[in-house]
Amino acid sequence: MTETFGNADLSNGEAAKTLHINLGAEPLELSWQHCGTTSDFLGEYFAKCCEKGVDQVDARHSIGYLLNEILENAVKFRHKGNVEIRCSMERNVFESTISNMVDPQTAEKFQALLQELLSRDPGELLLERIEANASDAGSGGSGLGLLTLMNDYDARLGWSFRSDHANGTVHLHTVAALTFA
Amino acid sequence: MEISTNDYRVWSEGARIHYEGTMRLSGTEAYAPILELMNNVLATKPAEIILDLTGLEFLNSSGINLLAKFTIEIRKQPDIGVKVLGSKSIPWQSKSLRNLQRLHPALELQIN
Repeated sequence: MTETFGNADLSNGEAAKTLHINLGAEPLELSWQHCGTTSDFLGEYFAKCCEKGVDQVDARHSIGYLLNEILENAVKFRHKGNVEIRCSMERNVFESTISNMVDPQTAEKFQALLQELLSRDPGELLLERIEANASDAGSGGSGLGLLTLMNDYDARLGWSFRSDHANGTVHLHTVAALTFA
Repeated sequence: MEISTNDYRVWSEGARIHYEGTMRLSGTEAYAPILELMNNVLATKPAEIILDLTGLEFLNSSGINLLAKFTIEIRKQPDIGVKVLGSKSIPWQSKSLRNLQRLHPALELQIN
C-alpha cells in the first residue's frame, strides 16, 4: 500500500538533464558529512544547467539548501540501507527524489507531522514551532527544515510511503522541487 | 571567546558575535557550545548585541533554529537591543533572516 502526502508528482521529461547518486550505507559508512558534500556538488552541477537569466548563485544555494535538509532527514531517520538521490532539471524546473527506508514507527510519526505541516500556512506554523521549541529545551525543532523550504524557498514537497511488510520496513520517497524564474 | 573548526568559526568581540564559514551541525546538542558562547554575551547585559553573519555562507535549519531561539532569549530582555548584519550576496540570509524580525519586531536587520 502506498500513501502520499503533499505533491509527489514529477513533471520533467526525457529532455531533462539528470543525475542519479546512490549513497551506499556500508561502503561509505554513511554519515552526516555526506549530506553537505553531496548537496554542495549537486547544487553546483544543477545551477549550471539553468537557462540564461537565472541567478546562478541563488540557484546553487537553493538547490544545495533543499537537498541538504532532505538528506539530513534521510540520514537521521533512515532505518537501514542506502540513500538514493535522483535529480533532474528542465526549463529551470529542478526536481529531486530522495529515497530511503524507515521503520514503521518512524513512518507513522512522520506522517502525523506531515499532516500538520500541510494543513496550515507554513509561515505561521514556522513561527509557532520556533516559539514552541524555544520554551522546550529538549526539542530539536522537528519539521523546521521542511517549513523553511516551504515558506522561505517556495519549494514544492511531496512524500510517498510504501510498506514492505515482508521486511518490516517502509520505503520513503521524498520529492522536492524548485522553479527558477 | 572563540569556537573554530575547519568549516566555521564563531567568536565574540565585546557584544559583537561573528560567524564565518559553513555551519551544518547535526542538531540542538551539536549547536550547544555555540549557543553557550552567545548566551555568555547576553549575560553581560550589553545595550545592544550585534550578530555579524556577513561571513556565514551557509547555515542549515538547525542553525536557523539556534538564531531563532537566541532571538527569543533577547526578546525577554526589552532593554537589550539586537542588530543582525547580513549580506545580499549570501542567498539564505535574504530568504530566512526576516523570520527573526517576525519573532522580535524590535530586531534591526541590515542586509547589505
